[in-house]
Amino acid sequence: MTVAGEKIVVEDRKSTDTALVIGGGVSGMQAALDIADQGYSVVLVERTPSIGGVMAMLDKTFPTLDCSACILTPKLSEVARHPNIELMTYSEVKSITGTAGNFRVSVLRKARKVLEDKCSGCGDCVPHCPIEVRNEFDQGLGYRKAVYIGFPQNTPLVYTIDSENCIKCGMCVKSCEREAIDLDLEDEEIEISVGAIVVATGYELYNVANYRRFGYGRFKNVINALEFERLINAAGPTAGNLMRLSDGKIPKSIGFIQCVGARDATKDVPYCSRVCCMYGIKNAVMAKELQHENVKKVTIYSIDIRAFGKGFEEFYNMAKDRFGIKFIRGRVGEVSENSRNKNIIVRAEDTTTGKFLEQEHELVVLCPGILPPKGLRDTANQLGLQLDSDGFIHVEQPASNPVDTAVSGVYICGCVEGPKDIPDSVAAGSAAAMRASITLWREGEH
Amino acid sequence: MSGKRFEPSIVAFTCNWCSYGGADLAGISRIQYPPNSKVIRLMCSGRVDPLMTLEAFKNGADGVIISGCHIGDCHYSTGNYRTEVRFMALRSAMDVIGLNPERLRLLWASASEGQQWADTMREMAEQVRELGPSPLKGGSKK
Amino acid sequence: MATEEVPRIGVFVCHCGHNIAGTVDVERVAEIAAHYPNVEFATHFMFMCSDSGQQLIRDKIEEFSLNRVVVASCSPRMHEPTFRRVVEEADVNRYCFEQVNLREHVSWCHMREPEAATEKAIDLIRMSVARAALLVPLEVKTVSVEPHTLVVGGGVAGLRAAIDIDSRGFKVTLVEREPELGGNLAKLSTLYQGNEKASDVIERMVLAARISENLTIMTDSEVVDVEGYIGNFDVTVKNNATDKTEKLRVGAIIVATGFQSWVPEGIPPYGMSLDVITLAQLEEMKRDDKLLCPSTGKPPKKVMFIGCVGSRQPGVQGHEHCSRYCCTAMVKAAADITEITDEVLILYDDIRTFGKGHEEVHRSAHEKFVMFSKFDRTKPAKTTVADGALSVKWRDILAGDNLEFHPDLLVLVTAMIPPEGVEKVSQLFSLTRSADGFFNEEHIKLAPLTTHTAGVMIAGAAQSAKDSTDSTTQASGAAAKAASLMARGEVEIESTVAHVLEELCSSCHTCATACPYGAISFDTSKKPEIAVVTEAECHGCGTCAAGCPSSAIIMRHSTDEQITAMVEAFLMPPPVMGGGDS
Ligand SMILES: Cc1cc2nc3c(=O)[nH]c(=O)nc-3n(C[C@H](O)[C@H](O)[C@H](O)COP(=O)(O)OP(=O)(O)OC[C@H]3O[C@@H](n4cnc5c(N)ncnc54)[C@H](O)[C@@H]3O)c2cc1C
Ligand SMILES: Cc1cc2nc3c(=O)[nH]c(=O)nc-3n(C[C@H](O)[C@H](O)[C@H](O)COP(=O)(O)OP(=O)(O)OC[C@H]3O[C@@H](n4cnc5c(N)ncnc54)[C@H](O)[C@@H]3O)c2cc1C
Ligand code: SF4
Ligand code: SF4
Ligand code: SF4
Ligand code: FES
Repeated sequence: MTVAGEKIVVEDRKSTDTALVIGGGVSGMQAALDIADQGYSVVLVERTPSIGGVMAMLDKTFPTLDCSACILTPKLSEVARHPNIELMTYSEVKSITGTAGNFRVSVLRKARKVLEDKCSGCGDCVPHCPIEVRNEFDQGLGYRKAVYIGFPQNTPLVYTIDSENCIKCGMCVKSCEREAIDLDLEDEEIEISVGAIVVATGYELYNVANYRRFGYGRFKNVINALEFERLINAAGPTAGNLMRLSDGKIPKSIGFIQCVGARDATKDVPYCSRVCCMYGIKNAVMAKELQHENVKKVTIYSIDIRAFGKGFEEFYNMAKDRFGIKFIRGRVGEVSENSRNKNIIVRAEDTTTGKFLEQEHELVVLCPGILPPKGLRDTANQLGLQLDSDGFIHVEQPASNPVDTAVSGVYICGCVEGPKDIPDSVAAGSAAAMRASITLWREGEH
Repeated sequence: MSGKRFEPSIVAFTCNWCSYGGADLAGISRIQYPPNSKVIRLMCSGRVDPLMTLEAFKNGADGVIISGCHIGDCHYSTGNYRTEVRFMALRSAMDVIGLNPERLRLLWASASEGQQWADTMREMAEQVRELGPSPLKGGSKK
Repeated sequence: MATEEVPRIGVFVCHCGHNIAGTVDVERVAEIAAHYPNVEFATHFMFMCSDSGQQLIRDKIEEFSLNRVVVASCSPRMHEPTFRRVVEEADVNRYCFEQVNLREHVSWCHMREPEAATEKAIDLIRMSVARAALLVPLEVKTVSVEPHTLVVGGGVAGLRAAIDIDSRGFKVTLVEREPELGGNLAKLSTLYQGNEKASDVIERMVLAARISENLTIMTDSEVVDVEGYIGNFDVTVKNNATDKTEKLRVGAIIVATGFQSWVPEGIPPYGMSLDVITLAQLEEMKRDDKLLCPSTGKPPKKVMFIGCVGSRQPGVQGHEHCSRYCCTAMVKAAADITEITDEVLILYDDIRTFGKGHEEVHRSAHEKFVMFSKFDRTKPAKTTVADGALSVKWRDILAGDNLEFHPDLLVLVTAMIPPEGVEKVSQLFSLTRSADGFFNEEHIKLAPLTTHTAGVMIAGAAQSAKDSTDSTTQASGAAAKAASLMARGEVEIESTVAHVLEELCSSCHTCATACPYGAISFDTSKKPEIAVVTEAECHGCGTCAAGCPSSAIIMRHSTDEQITAMVEAFLMPPPVMGGGDS
């Protein structure tokens, strides 16, 4: 076991003292912390340049409206500073062989072209880079340079050069006083052995453009919920000013359409995404709250409102009673654009009255469902895991062993098992940590 | 100056557990209330020394709120029993020295009672505004 | 304090993105703070808690030799630990840190009045600066952790937690007040997860518990007393069958006392006929293969379910919360009994089949021709009984029709509520409860398993209504928290305890009677005898200090002077302050 305060060296570890966590979203982070707190080492592999996952992109969080960054940031630094956690961001697992107690894992560390131990995160290089591309962290609404961090709390606070867009002009190299940039760095593959594995690769959003009738991609003022989160975020592309990106106008009337790519067998997504009702309500409340003078009318179109978790029903009631959010039960037929003012006209049937409605909104937000993360099939194949019919990882005995997979020594947590909100993802992270530490304990010689 | 409305200064001694949580919840839920009261965070309402309260009035407070967990819910099991007893004693003492006891309030608020917290802050501000500045203020007469 | 150092205070005002800066003029606030007595440096920054914000604090501590730090940001309930750690990394004692709450207590609750909010922020910072000048470093203490965990409640959650801790090689004791383990799950027939038999789940877990090496099971037993603190709790367990008590020393505690299924005694239609039952009662009949109408003893032909009884009904006849398990359990039970009945009908408001596999169960009910009708719960269904026969009338709001049904069995799908005795459990472990009556977690999103009582975790339905999957998830998670404590072997505790100044004590015993923990005893070797605080037993509430007529008790980190300084700074701001209203 390692001494507190010193960073661990990967090669020195015994496999039964080490766990691998794949995916650095909120559930993977929690799993890593709870394993590391028991004195075991953890290697945390994250595909993007920063840990944090989707939660880092959110503005506020239901059901109490804390700001996501505020509550997540301390966790980010806790993970980054933990003496027993080795962070491998901008990395991917290439292959896994072996069994519980001794898995051999090969990790591809993509070349960041910035030396992690030298970069201080000052960002002095950024103004010098001539290349500007859309920032994926902002859902492509904002821009970043080829040398970038996705968001201010990027953890580790190290810049990354995206090789796809970099033209190797070398301007950044010259601008960096700490000589942290090396454009000749190449990808490397390293081998580690671990005793237990936690898969926490999260989820993907449903591509709402698949519903042509909702106009996403065709009409500028139809956006998806994650884009909305970025639009109202102080660190987002509009510095938190809610506006239509088409013309900078503050939308007076906003419609939220629920279950887009969820509970719809015709689109091959028959299951409920578990968080969309609540995040829809949250964003509706936030719109009123941020622009209480301007945003007059907020309507949510939904089938059922599934406010099931602790404090959720209370939150739902507050949205209705205190914020005056209007809920209309019924599937939306289609939306069209008012060619004059680019407003969006929503046609829906209110199933509680049987009436057909036509309402004009200045902005429409589609609330997409949750899909298994990209590449989950590959990860599952590497590990010999089964997927269930919805495409998430299968659990054999969910009532009693909810984070165990069919493969001994491999555990799952967060949305990779199925859609979940943050509290449930965090609890599952701790649970997977417990089960993984049991494997380490049993396989190790104690 | 004279056109300005009197804005009372209110000290709110608040226990760290239920009540501070309730005050936080009021903020988290964006429930709006007047900014007259300033919270002084103590571990338990039982920490509030009656002398401290009188001291606050002497220093010019127009009102004082003592807030703790509901009876039975104190984080230190029985700390707030004391609070209640001391509160009663304080009110009689205030009467004696010519301070309207309405300037002192006891609020039991749990961590889920953001609304109650906000309501009390509002009511207290209004009530004390009505009562006018504390007669003890600045050692003045009245 | 022997070594009086001159306070050198740094003030850091946080924007929190828009959260604070959107309402409070942070720039002006920081500028004014810079002129307060003892303040050597003041600034404002986008996110104080981010890595760069933390670095800023450390850098400025070094640059200006700061020895006190005031951060004006969010609620200390969230970030006090973060910032304490930050200052400590720069060699400033954690107790020399002070946080001002500009977000929950200012910007968020005075959003419509930015000027008044800014003034309040200025006042609050002045108060905290005054307090900061009087803060003193305290020694950071660690205590050892007894490698033994107590699990209270032997339902699925308690069982899961206990088995996990045992498998991880630590000693664990499971206390269950009933004679049998298994809790509410043991009363069910088949689960909506894969149609697994509930008894199979329980048997599997009880077997694992019985063959374990480090797990002691105490049934028929209840915890009657808890003393001590994280790492070292002294727990008294009483066996209700034998009346014998036993003392245990444990380092961590997991409370998994679950729920009870609400029985709407005295609230019609419950009680109108023997054939009006709850879903929990139906489940027991199903489990025992005795699904019969209680009044006739015959199998029911027409069964009707009413959803959300006592859930989502603030004020009416129950509870505002959604009970989370019931929609899915209801559609599952309805689908199951289609095989032995003629007609099954469900009255619902929303169908919340949200979890993994739940929609499949929901669909299968539709496929098995269960009828669904949405009703308006503000105009509840009317039940009447004539000649022993039930009749229910309601308005279907999707079709807009008035409907009537004559079930021979009417099943009320009732809420999960906290179990009997929850008040006592909450007092024993100093747990607070949320509006729904279940135990409060430390933080509703990021710390759902720990509580405000260090060393005490919660899991399962005890935390809020939920199903078995979500309960066992929490249970393993809570077990991880306990295992971490035990694996580390020691833990830091607060040094904020009471201390008696011998010279001033007048031996009046006021403090000893005030202390909720009996932490104050008397040193009779001295004449007159003087009060002594046993630090390990003091929880730091300060009730003694507030009562002491001789001001002989110093509350560390909450001294009379520190509190009065805040009061004075608020009410009597020193005249020369600079900045001012210019
Ligand atoms: C619009 C929207 C709003 C929401 N609002 C809320 C809210 O207010 N409150 C709430 O509780 N929940 C909310 N949620 C849900 C919340 O986002 C999830 O609960 C949470 O993010 C799940 O965390 P996770 O760790 O499971 O997954 P993720 O956050 O998806 O994290 C997974 C991580 O794994 C990484 N990864 C993926 N594949 C690989 C791989 N092969 N190798 C290495 N790394 C990989 C990803 O890059 C990512 O960092 C919202 C969701 C959406 C879409
Ligand atoms: C009708 C019905 C149908 C359901 N169907 C399903 C289903 O299909 N699938 C599913 O996953 N879930 C279902 N559930 C939910 C499931 O029952 C719960 O999720 C699960 O029982 C919660 O487990 P627990 O251990 O947290 O609580 P409990 O099962 O309530 O166990 C708590 C235990 O603690 C004990 N206890 C309480 N107080 C004390 C004390 N002071 N001292 C000592 N011991 C104490 C109790 O005696 C009990 O044994 C259903 C529930 C109901 C009511
Ligand atoms: S320190 Fe608090 S107020 Fe500042 S950014 Fe962090 S969470 Fe927000
Ligand atoms: S080398 Fe690449 S990253 Fe650096 S400045 Fe040029 S384009 Fe930007
Ligand atoms: S501070 Fe509280 S717990 Fe400590 S001795 Fe005083 S009364 Fe007892
Ligand atoms: S802790 Fe809140 S009153 Fe004692």
